Amino acid sequence: MVESSIIAIPESLVPFFPFLRGILGLALIGAIFVGAMGAVWIERKLAGDIQRRYGPIRVGKFGLLQLVADAIKLFTKEDIIPRNADKLLFKNAPIFMMSSVFLMLVAIPVGAVFIDGVEYPLAVTEMDISVLYIEAMSAISIFGIFMMAYGSNNKYSLLGAFRNFARMVGYEVPLGISMIAVVVMTGSLNIVEISQAQGLHWNIFLQPLGAIVFFIALMADMGRLPFDQNESEEELVAGWVTEYSGMRFGLGFFAEYIHMILGSFLVALLFLGGWNVPTFISDHAVLGLIAPTGFLLLKTALVLCTIVMLRWAVPRYRIDQVVDLSWKRLLPLSLINLVWAVGLGLYLGA
Amino acid sequence: MAGIIDSYIPVAIFLAVGLLMPPMTMFLVKQLSPRSRAANKYTTYESGSVPTGTARIQFNVEYYLYAIAFVLFDIEVLFLYPWATVYKGHGITTVAVLEMLIFVLILLFGYLYLWKKEALTWVK
Repeated sequence: MVESSIIAIPESLVPFFPFLRGILGLALIGAIFVGAMGAVWIERKLAGDIQRRYGPIRVGKFGLLQLVADAIKLFTKEDIIPRNADKLLFKNAPIFMMSSVFLMLVAIPVGAVFIDGVEYPLAVTEMDISVLYIEAMSAISIFGIFMMAYGSNNKYSLLGAFRNFARMVGYEVPLGISMIAVVVMTGSLNIVEISQAQGLHWNIFLQPLGAIVFFIALMADMGRLPFDQNESEEELVAGWVTEYSGMRFGLGFFAEYIHMILGSFLVALLFLGGWNVPTFISDHAVLGLIAPTGFLLLKTALVLCTIVMLRWAVPRYRIDQVVDLSWKRLLPLSLINLVWAVGLGLYLGA
Repeated sequence: MAGIIDSYIPVAIFLAVGLLMPPMTMFLVKQLSPRSRAANKYTTYESGSVPTGTARIQFNVEYYLYAIAFVLFDIEVLFLYPWATVYKGHGITTVAVLEMLIFVLILLFGYLYLWKKEALTWVK
């Protein structure tokens, strides 16, 4: 966002800035949709490469138009609501999931521009408690999943939702504690400040244990393989989305993908140093405008590719193994990391 | 620094868009998609056989135990959030860190008790 200090703006317009930011920020929704479609394509291509097959190649150059074809298909499929479904829950669950990822998106900075050495973070809104807010909004999506499954009135869906619930409940705690370990280092819940404070001393080097716990817990939180017990196709058909088809499925599917992209942003911002670049780059007139954002997006893309490739490298765990991993391994590890972070924070701060 | 309300105005705008966009998409789909009347397609999917009973079944008590443990630890996490922002640089560092350690130790005691009682073991 370009602030008032650069361009002379009449004082009377200042109260409208939050509205302006919100409306300009809507462009981000478009960008994230394009990003999600790109992520789908990259996932299919990478999956193909890893399994020694082509992936999408038929529609358009490199199969790029496959996404357009898929979108046309989703838009022209009949919307079927099963007779036994709970109509209210069934219809509103995708809305719920979409809203929760949009609300997550609002607080996540996607980069920064440096104009004359002054930093302007590119965030739709900056709030003092954004880390807590993002975690809360991320956790809300489980309600959407449960609404979908319970509303479907299908046994596969319900089993998938129960597993999803057992898993997410276990991984929220290590996720939260490893986030606190990051907050402890900075002393602020504002994700912009956390990202700025890292400078070139990335949190992943200061607390590698926390980074690993956070990454695993995030994977589980987003329901990516090896943690997709809620979908496990071999046992539960499609898990919680069994009864969904057409665009209603598409909305939930896109919400999940956007959640994954935002999760990658979180890893990059909290542990991989955000958009910080050495000062000789940020002071440069042109590079200062592009480089920080590009650097953050590059890191996010790398995290995203790691998540996607892990899907094809690690087989799915059983539900009891998953639950054991969170309660008996990650929770103690995250507490150890918290104590380490407090000690390190005091040592560095003193 | 903007006021507190100001930073939530964009949140409200995004919420409105998030609530409006999916119904609009579904409206568009309704205009574009074909419709056919075949009664069988509205039945619940159960691997091709006729569905029996309802899916609103009683579920395992396991989930309930995990939920209680979760609430316990999530409250711990919530207490730690405000603590993490103020423990340093307000002249209360020693007391704050000791208090947090005692708090975590008490919770660890409960955690070990849960573990020993096998509340964290998936029985099946």
